[in-house]
Amino acid sequence: MNNFLQQPLIAELLHTPLFWATLTIGAFIIGQRLYHLLGNTAFLPPILTGIILVSVVLEITGISFNTYMEGGQYLHLMLGPVVVMLAVPLYQFIHVMRKEWLRISLAISLGSAATVGTAVAMTHYLIGIPEITTTMATKSVTTPVAVTLSEQLGGIGALASAFVIVTGVFGALLVPPLLKATRLNEPKAVGLTLGVCAHAIGTGRALELGNEQAAYAAMAMSLTATLHAVALPWLM
Amino acid sequence: MSGLLILLSFLLFGNLLQSGLDLPVPGSIIGMLLLLVLLMLRGKTPESLQNISKVLSPLLPLFIIPVSVGIVTQKELLADNGIALLVIMTVSLIPGAIVCAAIMMAGKKS
Repeated sequence: MNNFLQQPLIAELLHTPLFWATLTIGAFIIGQRLYHLLGNTAFLPPILTGIILVSVVLEITGISFNTYMEGGQYLHLMLGPVVVMLAVPLYQFIHVMRKEWLRISLAISLGSAATVGTAVAMTHYLIGIPEITTTMATKSVTTPVAVTLSEQLGGIGALASAFVIVTGVFGALLVPPLLKATRLNEPKAVGLTLGVCAHAIGTGRALELGNEQAAYAAMAMSLTATLHAVALPWLM
Repeated sequence: MSGLLILLSFLLFGNLLQSGLDLPVPGSIIGMLLLLVLLMLRGKTPESLQNISKVLSPLLPLFIIPVSVGIVTQKELLADNGIALLVIMTVSLIPGAIVCAAIMMAGKKS
């Protein structure tokens, strides 16, 4: 293997930015295929497969993250416009929530404050590394916003992404049975809670439960991300 | 294509405002809020924005992979604190979920 990696042509390929951009797209497509193959399960989102595959390739080839990012930055560059684009779904949801805006605003702000507050307090007392505590504060917002936000606040972008994805997978797994056990399982409540606690991955799970759940989850995800992106910089 | 131009213009403007006024909120979020205000004033989403949204939304996770792969630079941190972090992320879901769902159902007969 080492011999193979040291071949001049292979070594050159591994230092070509375009190779890493191409590999990332390939890994994402494999992730999407696997996701569909497993019946769109919330537990293996395409992004997770993509991250694992690229990380494994970096590990095997011994290429540094900085070298990888020379190619990865072309995709990373799109994060800015994509965050701006979140205004489009948000605008639609603001229309939908007008009927119950007070209840929805309270549920989203207090619910997300409860989960983030608990996580930040636990991180502070159990781990006590300021960068990790700051990063943990962004765990309940959708990944593009979490990455942008944690970098702005002095956290660690890569870690923010990991926290958000793990929170999403666990939330999608735990929220529906938890709400069933506590008899808080009206469709709107389940959907909204999945959006607040498990953002995009929770919304994927909500889609399996029903249309009403999915609509409330998507709305809650957008509103939580916006609320936290605006509020956290002043609070942290 | 003009949808992409709108997104980039709002991003640029958001970044300018962020650095000009030294705001703690990321420029892309400011751009997003400004675009939201524009959509609310206009009362509908321009077709070009809807089109670009349809194209870019499914690709969103792809754009997050590069920065996420940076997790390979955090191996030591994860080895030391990985278990604690998993516990924190699991436990903290419970109060959030209960508060959220309880408010959604408060005062309604079940």
